Amino acid sequence: MARMKFLCDADRCIECNGCVTACKNENEVPWGVNRRRVVTLNDGEAGEKSISVACMHCTDAPCAAVCPVDCFYTTTDGIVLHDKDLCIGCGYCFYACPFGAPQYPQQEAFGVRGKMDKCTFCAGGPPADNSDDEYAKYGANRIAEGKLPACAEMCATKALIAGDGDLIADIYRKRVLKRGGRPDTWGWDAAYGDKV
Amino acid sequence: MKRMLAISLLIGLAAGLAGCYDEPGVTVYEPGVYKGDHDPLLDKMASEDHRETLQARFRTVQTDR
Repeated sequence: MARMKFLCDADRCIECNGCVTACKNENEVPWGVNRRRVVTLNDGEAGEKSISVACMHCTDAPCAAVCPVDCFYTTTDGIVLHDKDLCIGCGYCFYACPFGAPQYPQQEAFGVRGKMDKCTFCAGGPPADNSDDEYAKYGANRIAEGKLPACAEMCATKALIAGDGDLIADIYRKRVLKRGGRPDTWGWDAAYGDKV
Repeated sequence: MKRMLAISLLIGLAAGLAGCYDEPGVTVYEPGVYKGDHDPLLDKMASEDHRETLQARFRTVQTDR
């Protein structure tokens, strides 16, 4: 069974924000909601690194664990989706998510947030596949059409890849071998340097 | 009379102390069971043909240039 995953190769990401634009264009994401965003570490300094971040479709999703109305479900391929008809906009999932993936369309007084919105891996939601109702609530359902997420397919440098985790791991392993070293994007040295 | 008063005081004290008890264990919440509508995509993703389509798509558009 495949496990659908995203991987962003920080050595390839050039912070073009093409993935963000592709996501917004494909899913008609409302103003103020960013299902995907590019984060740059040490911006402006030599050796800066950028990564594209969205819902990581966790295997043991903390958002699902804290949801008081149980509106999350995980597909057989590991895509974490939710039902907006059940969501009460409480914001628990936002606090639980380590990636800040859940987004809320409204910013009004008295905590009125609206229904939570997040990356769906371009897999829509519970309404009928590629129906108007599904598109209005969740955006495109490219997975049902046999396509992969628009953000990854549009990535010019192939920094962002999405699909079966095993296939992604093969590609990344080959890249690392070709570069002649281990990835220094994360790990102890990247996080703390040689001071600790 | 004094005995009745002492007993009722003791009962009151015990009840009061019981109210102050705090459960020291940590409550662990497990993810609940999904309560929303069925997603037709789940049926589609179970098919081997659809999985092969997605893998073929991956090899077409995600591999290195």
